[in-house]
Amino acid sequence: MTISAERPTEVAASVAPPASKTPWTQRPGWMSQHLGTAMVAALLGYLLGHWFGNYVSANYPYIANSGQNNIANTLGLTGMVLGWLLGIGALNYPLAKLVGKDAPAESEVEGWSKYFRYSTNHKVVGLQYVVGVILFMFTGGLLAMAIRTELLNPTTHVFGPGTYAEIVSEHGTVMMMMATSIIVGPLGNYLVPLMIGSRRMAFPRIEAFSFWVFVAGYMVIFSALPYGGFTTGWTGYAPLQTQNGPGMISYLLGFAVIGLGMMAAGFNIAVTIINYRAPGMTWSRVPIFVWSMLATASLLTLATPVLFSAGLFGLLDKTVQTAFYVGEHGGSSYLWENLFWFFGHPEVYIMALPGFGIAAELLPVFTRKPLFAYKVAASGMIGVALLSFFVWQHHLFQSGINPDMRPLFMLTTEMISLPTGFIYLVGLGTMYRAKIRWELPMLFVMALFFNFLIGGVTGVFLSDVPVNVTVHGGFFVLSHFHYTIMGGLLFAFMAGLYYWLPKMTGRMMNKSIGKVHFWMMFVFFNLTFFPMFIIGLLGQPRRVFTYASNLQGLNDFASISAFLLGTSFLVFAWNLVYSLWINPVKAPANPWDSLGLEWQTASPVPAHNFDRIPVILTDPYHYSEPGAPALADFGGGAGASTSAASTESNPA
Amino acid sequence: MTDIFKGSKVPNATPEEREFELRAHLGSIWTGGRLFIGMYTFMLASLAFAYFYLRSSNNAQLWRPNHVTAPTYYGFFIYGFMVLTAILAVYGQWRLRKGEVADWQVAGWTGVVSGLLALFLQIWEFTRVPFYPGSSGYASTFIGFAVMNIATIVVGTYWLETTLARGMRLRREYGPGAELSSHPAAQSFRANVSSMTYNWGFIALGATLFLVLFYLM
Repeated sequence: MTISAERPTEVAASVAPPASKTPWTQRPGWMSQHLGTAMVAALLGYLLGHWFGNYVSANYPYIANSGQNNIANTLGLTGMVLGWLLGIGALNYPLAKLVGKDAPAESEVEGWSKYFRYSTNHKVVGLQYVVGVILFMFTGGLLAMAIRTELLNPTTHVFGPGTYAEIVSEHGTVMMMMATSIIVGPLGNYLVPLMIGSRRMAFPRIEAFSFWVFVAGYMVIFSALPYGGFTTGWTGYAPLQTQNGPGMISYLLGFAVIGLGMMAAGFNIAVTIINYRAPGMTWSRVPIFVWSMLATASLLTLATPVLFSAGLFGLLDKTVQTAFYVGEHGGSSYLWENLFWFFGHPEVYIMALPGFGIAAELLPVFTRKPLFAYKVAASGMIGVALLSFFVWQHHLFQSGINPDMRPLFMLTTEMISLPTGFIYLVGLGTMYRAKIRWELPMLFVMALFFNFLIGGVTGVFLSDVPVNVTVHGGFFVLSHFHYTIMGGLLFAFMAGLYYWLPKMTGRMMNKSIGKVHFWMMFVFFNLTFFPMFIIGLLGQPRRVFTYASNLQGLNDFASISAFLLGTSFLVFAWNLVYSLWINPVKAPANPWDSLGLEWQTASPVPAHNFDRIPVILTDPYHYSEPGAPALADFGGGAGASTSAASTESNPA
Repeated sequence: MTDIFKGSKVPNATPEEREFELRAHLGSIWTGGRLFIGMYTFMLASLAFAYFYLRSSNNAQLWRPNHVTAPTYYGFFIYGFMVLTAILAVYGQWRLRKGEVADWQVAGWTGVVSGLLALFLQIWEFTRVPFYPGSSGYASTFIGFAVMNIATIVVGTYWLETTLARGMRLRREYGPGAELSSHPAAQSFRANVSSMTYNWGFIALGATLFLVLFYLM
């Protein structure tokens, strides 16, 4: 299909309509649905659900006089989520089409207030996600600071043992929920259509739904604190799960609600990539970041339903008194472990793959070289995604697996390091003999490679049964997964933000503050978590608020480093505020001289992304190749003058 | 799954771009329908895993004491109505392809009624189970299955009903016989009917599996 034929060369300018001058109370949409109505509806939904739960079940023998009504709590929180979705407008269309009506028109709101509404614009949703995940990250980070404060001294305590366990559990759960969406949500939603030459997402309403459900999940999981918390850690193992109080409801329902958002986001992104690629964008021309999004979206779509089911079974145990996870009544606590980790290990790659995608996408830009072994990287990502379904039982090496099965899962776990290693080698191959431009995003990418090497190698050790059995449940494992998730994913997220925020906001992030942020984050991340390997090998267990006195020096060192690591995030927050509002510097159209399609459209991005659907002529990695073909034919629309050749004629 | 498709929303889209977006839209409905089956499969698989895991563990000899069984008559009726809905969806689509819109509508609305009956019976069965939810592994997994089945029937029947409602909207906007026209909205409608039917077929397959597990074994 050749779209470029007979295209009009005069393209309507993609200029946003002028902002309304009418008073804010009279602006269209003011009386419509927004964050305020969602909050009110969520509160009403909670009260109604809680009342109904009490009305229905207050006389049940196991509830009467127990001082605890899990049915009321569950229905209250469910009502809160439904109220939230109704209040924001996410259910308008599903309800309208039930009675044969068209979707109600969206409020035509311009300016900042559109970010507080249910929007089907993927660029708005992407920025909503940026704020959402940062909020998630900061609250989870505050809990981390509380943990390190407690561990400053083995005998003088800030919190009691129960409170400490609750803080650790909340921190782990919040961070894991955040980490599954931290790249897919903000960057996946914003960038995938731009990178594949599409004007839209396949299912914009499902995309918007995924964000607002994500926020609802955030509220549900934090409702655990007023309910008294939960002490199971983020893995929620039974029988602790069964023994915990109403805070466990928030955990189980929170995971189920966030799971809904994850499934919706993954479903939409996968369908978009498969169907909305611009003409000429064959699978071998798809940007590597988009490959990582496809692999991640597939995992989100297929693995998350298992988590959803596991959460549902847990909720049934807590409410209608089933016994899925109660061994004494015919259930099994190992059932939870199996279901949880069948989701939980693919989740590790849900978190890792987008990080690899960002690193592989950015390396050619800052090395000015083509991506080394593109097809190996893409197949490595698909390989990781497939293999990730066959490794979950290594989490059960110590807790109930048939010993004869251990070698099999040890082998599959070691095998997954092969495609992961391919991706790593692709990065090294791209950097080989390159003249690297040490811009901020590249610094974060390099840090990712450093951190992930440590996290990855320790992971290979941990896949071996003898090592796993020895260090299980200690700080060694804790340090390993912080190196992979925080050292890999979070550094990749920062690289992505510094790289793409100029496109998303039209403002350059301040380089000097950014460098302070980077060095603080990189140095203190390593000073926080590397000592934990030693602490773990010396025998300190996780989730315990006291420890042997000879480990205090190392713990204090890690705690002080953690406080400084936390400070680095304040520097990042300051950089955001400074660069976007206090001293905004307009971003050039293509500040990194990237060949990526997302940089070839106008800035700010027009309402429909591309004035003409581009026809893709090659892959976006022909850096420093004299005579390389132009990336795409833009049909005289935005970006028509920007091509591989023109960019290479003016290399930075 | 989607609104009435009215083509590209870009004001100055060329005919080729409109064609491209229509193809992408139809492909999305096809892919989305199949991916939805994938999600549903993993959800059912987790329930089947729980069933076989607890059955083989037989902890405290409480997998299924005295071979308790959920009310079989209800189970067969629920299953029957679900399969009937699936058959009606398949039949309706077949007739629609033959140009018999009225047959599709009658089959579709009958399917909705059948789905609602299945839903009612599944909820009613809750009040008639002869065991306490936590009395055994079988009892627990059955309650889990019943909750999932309610959600399945609700989603499937909703999809069928909204597809029928969309057909009505099509006729209202584009005139009688709009479902069979070559208009993009009609193509989108037919793609949706196809995906919905395919999903109902899979729902019937899942229902058969769990009928065997919970009522016949």
